[in-house]
Amino acid sequence: MNKLFYPLAAILLLAGSAFTYLTTPGWQVATGYSIAFSSDDASGIFRDFRGSLSFDDSDPAAGKFDVAVEVASINTGNAMQNRHAKSDEWFDAVKYPQIHFASKSISRTASGYQVSGELEMHGSKKPVTIPFVFKKTAQGGLFTGSFNLNRNDYGIGKPGGGVGEQVRIDISVPVTKI
Amino acid sequence: MFKRSLALGVVSGVLAGLAGVLYAHVYRNSLGADFSRVVPAIKIIAASLFGGVLAAIGFALLYRRLTTKGEIVFNLLFTLVSVITLVAPFAAKLPLDAEAPELFPGMVIPMHFFPALAWFTLKPMFIRNK
Repeated sequence: MNKLFYPLAAILLLAGSAFTYLTTPGWQVATGYSIAFSSDDASGIFRDFRGSLSFDDSDPAAGKFDVAVEVASINTGNAMQNRHAKSDEWFDAVKYPQIHFASKSISRTASGYQVSGELEMHGSKKPVTIPFVFKKTAQGGLFTGSFNLNRNDYGIGKPGGGVGEQVRIDISVPVTKI
Repeated sequence: MFKRSLALGVVSGVLAGLAGVLYAHVYRNSLGADFSRVVPAIKIIAASLFGGVLAAIGFALLYRRLTTKGEIVFNLLFTLVSVITLVAPFAAKLPLDAEAPELFPGMVIPMHFFPALAWFTLKPMFIRNK
């Protein structure tokens, strides 16, 4: 039995290390990302974005995204608006400090890919589908995508109120290989 | 009168601009908030000069119309206008990559009073009371 232990361990280690290369590659969010939102009346960015991204353009279905932005990192370019956005009237950053997205499936489309999953924001969890494009770069890759959502679906702000209800989200995330 | 008023407006405007640039420099070094891309030195000086020249025109007009009470009305108006302009820094929308926009009003609000301060300080050198 002892004779078999080391050869078996070596085989397991060899297989394990080879398997690492066969699994879906993981990506690390690099600097220079942009999570921007815009509506008729307000626009801005979230400065703090993090999460795990595993994606292989040859096998998108095996990919998985689990990402979050810190609500308190919102920046509209105006200090009063920032404060207002973080208040309980809008995002309520104290009670709901994060906006979280977890993917359920990723598939290829005619123009790129799309990821379906659940977006949790302001205490509400809703299914969303985000079309995106992935381009390989010298440093690693770049994910870009845009989608629209209705802030009323998440109970953010009051309906109407002179602020646009449809909000466009533009995402650009450069990544490097882990 | 207009000539002296204009000279006072220009000199106090430029000095207020230079004081503004110096204040912005101190603000940046002490708090680390750099808004030099949003309001570069040339813009600070130009805005202060604009305020100074506008004050000169206003002073000359009021002095001509109201003679004895012209200066009192002018001083009140100059202070009032300086206070009203404070709305602008609070409403300003900075570029999204500008760090700490909440520190922006703190930098520019004092600058809004510099032209009036410079005017009131230098006025006795240019225009003597009757």
